[in-house]
Amino acid sequence: MSMNDRDLQVGRVLRASTRGFAIGCAVMQPEIPSFGAFVRAEAQPSGEAIYGLIYDVSVEDDPFVRQLIGADMPEEVVRDNRETRQIPIEVSVLAVGCGRDGGIRHCLPAQPPVTLDWLYQCEEAEVRAFTERFDYFRLVLEARDVPTDELLAASLRAAAEARPAGERERFLVEAGRELVRLLAGDPTRLEGLLRRLRA
Amino acid sequence: MTLELSQLTQQVETMGKAAAERQDAYADLVRLARQWLASYADQGEKLRDGARSGREAAIPTAEPLDGVFPLPEIPEKLTVAAADGSQIQPDRHGAALYYMINIGSMVYRHGSGEAPEARSEATLGYTEDDLYENGSPVSGNLLDIRRDLGELRRLADVCEEEAPSPTVALVDGSIVLWVLRDRPPGARKEKVEAYLEQLDRIRRAGGIVGGFISRPGYNEVTGLLHLASLDGDRKKAEKEPNPFQHLPDRAVFANLPSGARSALFVSPKETSQRDYGQHEVHFFYLNLVQEGEQPVIARVEAPAWVVEDPAKLDILHGAIVAQARIMGDYPYALARADELAYISSQERAALEEMVSTALMRAGVRSTPSPKAYYKRLTRRGF
Repeated sequence: MSMNDRDLQVGRVLRASTRGFAIGCAVMQPEIPSFGAFVRAEAQPSGEAIYGLIYDVSVEDDPFVRQLIGADMPEEVVRDNRETRQIPIEVSVLAVGCGRDGGIRHCLPAQPPVTLDWLYQCEEAEVRAFTERFDYFRLVLEARDVPTDELLAASLRAAAEARPAGERERFLVEAGRELVRLLAGDPTRLEGLLRRLRA
Repeated sequence: MTLELSQLTQQVETMGKAAAERQDAYADLVRLARQWLASYADQGEKLRDGARSGREAAIPTAEPLDGVFPLPEIPEKLTVAAADGSQIQPDRHGAALYYMINIGSMVYRHGSGEAPEARSEATLGYTEDDLYENGSPVSGNLLDIRRDLGELRRLADVCEEEAPSPTVALVDGSIVLWVLRDRPPGARKEKVEAYLEQLDRIRRAGGIVGGFISRPGYNEVTGLLHLASLDGDRKKAEKEPNPFQHLPDRAVFANLPSGARSALFVSPKETSQRDYGQHEVHFFYLNLVQEGEQPVIARVEAPAWVVEDPAKLDILHGAIVAQARIMGDYPYALARADELAYISSQERAALEEMVSTALMRAGVRSTPSPKAYYKRLTRRGF
């Protein structure tokens, strides 16, 4: 594992299926992962990269904090609970692609990652490579129990941010065209999604 | 689920009623005990010899038996360290014979605004020397002693690191080391000396050590009241039925005002009396909660050199209440030390898995015993 990889670690896999997975991470991670971010795990034992989008970040219930919540908490206790205690954050990821040796396919992986595997945030180059095509839109739009339209819009904004400033507008327009093609039969949903994309 | 709860319904109902009846009976006994505490309040000196010659009654100090000492102020900046431990016992049914001790500790600096220091230190015991002591397997009480020593050693380390600033070092439970009587006297002495050596380190570093006992079940002060009612005659006290035999001291002190402590007493425990010398264990009871709340009584133990210094005694008293009031009724640092020491069932399973893998890599074929294997199969929840 390189230093770079270590910097981009989000957390370890708690449970997984080919459609998606949940990971746990501590509050003390340098950057709490964000909704719509592109992430990568490795399928075992094949070593294939699995790409996903973070669609939910939740702080788990903690009875100890619940006990403290009504009290007038000293600063030391607030910092202890935020910085030192391992209050797990659970991050849910929707699988949207896989790849090997630089080749990327927008489809569900053949195998899920294994419990305790690391999940990494994708580097900007990986995000650009993954979003050269828009075939993964369908996997997002058809996902169940996922805020699909919000997720797609957030991921496209993240993908635009990963590009040079001069290319962002063109990228979003092309993404919008693909959405028009996919959602031609549902103009209300299309309008909402395009509005979110511009937000 | 194999436990037929329906079989217990009637018994649980009866148990509830019995508890209510016992509570009523206790109320009368508590009233009587408090009357006696006030009546014999100034007879400490007269009772001291009788109490010291037995093991049932708290030994009075110079403070009146019914003394009440209000919550003292503590310095604005004060360091409190707490340690707690847990262990995995050696299991002959497991993949290999080993034990594990995990010491959790927290260093909390009041008034600093800093995040406290949290630490967990795990140690594996697996060599012949680790696993056997004078021919006896290291498990049960012997492993408890190693854990207790590990907790106190960690607190001594913190006190030395923080010196010359004084640190309040909190142990979860009694500071009277419990060593089974069936150990050879030499081995017992060796254990106690190792423990006292850590208390010495804390003392030399200017620390203030205390053992915190939540919901204490001791009946040593009530034992003293029984002795007092018989004019301090220990032989008579041993023969006569003690009306307070099942009444815990904490019930008698439940009328302590918010934050106040009881009088100091000396522990009659044999180990303290025989081996502790300058560390002779003293104790007091303390009402932890804020004004207007239901009392929560804890017992605090400290060595003689802490309680004989009024400034140290006040800091210990005040620091424990300050810690307890963060959450309401239990020292925050101790709660966190317990959390840091705790070994979950998943962690136990993960360690067992690691051990199996390491053995396999080293070319050792090892499997759990058939009994352990079938237990795992039947107890795995689906």
